[in-house]
Amino acid sequence: MKKLFFLPVVILLFSVAASAQSTLPAIDKSPLDICYYPNNYPVLKIQDKATEPLVARVVYSRPKKEGRTIFGGLVEYGKLWRLGANEATEIELYKTVYIGGKKITKGRYTLYAIVNESSWTFILNKETDTWGSFKYNQAKDVVRTDAPVQKTTDDLESLAMTFEKTNGSINLIVAWENVKVALPIKL
Amino acid sequence: MKMTWLQLIMITLLFSIFSCKGKEKEVASKPVIEKDTNTAPANINVTPNAVVNPYAGVDVSPMDMSYYPVDYPKLKMANDNTPPLVARVVYSRPHLQGRHLFNDVLKYGEPWRLGANESTEIQLYRDVTIQGKKVKAGRYILYCIPEADKWTIVLNTNIDSWGLKQEPAKDIQRFDIPAIHDHNGPSLEYFTIVFEKTAGGADMVMAWGDVLAKLPINF
Repeated sequence: MKKLFFLPVVILLFSVAASAQSTLPAIDKSPLDICYYPNNYPVLKIQDKATEPLVARVVYSRPKKEGRTIFGGLVEYGKLWRLGANEATEIELYKTVYIGGKKITKGRYTLYAIVNESSWTFILNKETDTWGSFKYNQAKDVVRTDAPVQKTTDDLESLAMTFEKTNGSINLIVAWENVKVALPIKL
Repeated sequence: MKMTWLQLIMITLLFSIFSCKGKEKEVASKPVIEKDTNTAPANINVTPNAVVNPYAGVDVSPMDMSYYPVDYPKLKMANDNTPPLVARVVYSRPHLQGRHLFNDVLKYGEPWRLGANESTEIQLYRDVTIQGKKVKAGRYILYCIPEADKWTIVLNTNIDSWGLKQEPAKDIQRFDIPAIHDHNGPSLEYFTIVFEKTAGGADMVMAWGDVLAKLPINF
């Protein structure tokens, strides 16, 4: 009963706030997100439960499918994609690793992909703090490496990234729609 | 200098007009499922009619980033003579959802992560001065101890941490700044951090509900 009594007040407050918000900085349609390896490292850290040192994190925006065909549609085959939305996707390495057989020193990089039906080419590039892939400069590439596309039974609304541990290395998993691709990072 | 809501609206209007150019942005149109911003991440997908994302749930309090120069990545894309990068804040944006900022969401005198989820992070790309104290280039986290008329903004080195456990032993500086309440102005649904150019550098403007606070950064 008490809750019902306050409902009109809550609705009123919400609508007032919503109308005021239209003139103030908006929320991104494709929200930013972050993923760490070890997964959930920040939580583990404050609980003193981290058993492995920090290796990597990815900061990316998460576009939504919204009824569209993603691969071969919104994300055209054979073209460079920022692997997200808005600002270019960033990968930070907290230690030196191997990607595509190449030694990659610790630091921040921009991560792009060229998407095809059966494989993707991941690209690490030195130009950070940049927008999308509009000013991509191949001369600043650090490494390019191909990874096979795995079809899944998912129908993912939002682009998702996470890390998984494999034998002696880790994979950055990128998944959207019914596609999943792994970028191997050797420690 | 007293900041009025009118000034803030003007600034943010300019900001949003600029940022709308080719940028995928919109005001969240629907209220989303409420998640306590003080809980660890759960697999909650707030997209209507979507299945739960098995790889990474979508946060109720979405992350965002603010640069100084404002919109630096886009400036860089459009112009080869962009002024050098000074700062970037990465933070999550909790929303009021009908709650009052004080004391439903925040309590006076209790540390707040200045956002949600992970600790709010500031990256300084060059040395700066804040309230006469030198702060070296590098990455820090920020947290806040709000009081009715002032906020204490704390710069701390415990980076890549979740925002619920502050470690004061890792504080490097504390800055007291006025908290301006405007009960007659519009209420900001989403917590917002933006930079704003000043004569001596830039202010880091923090706004939520009817409260506004500015941390002056000189460089």
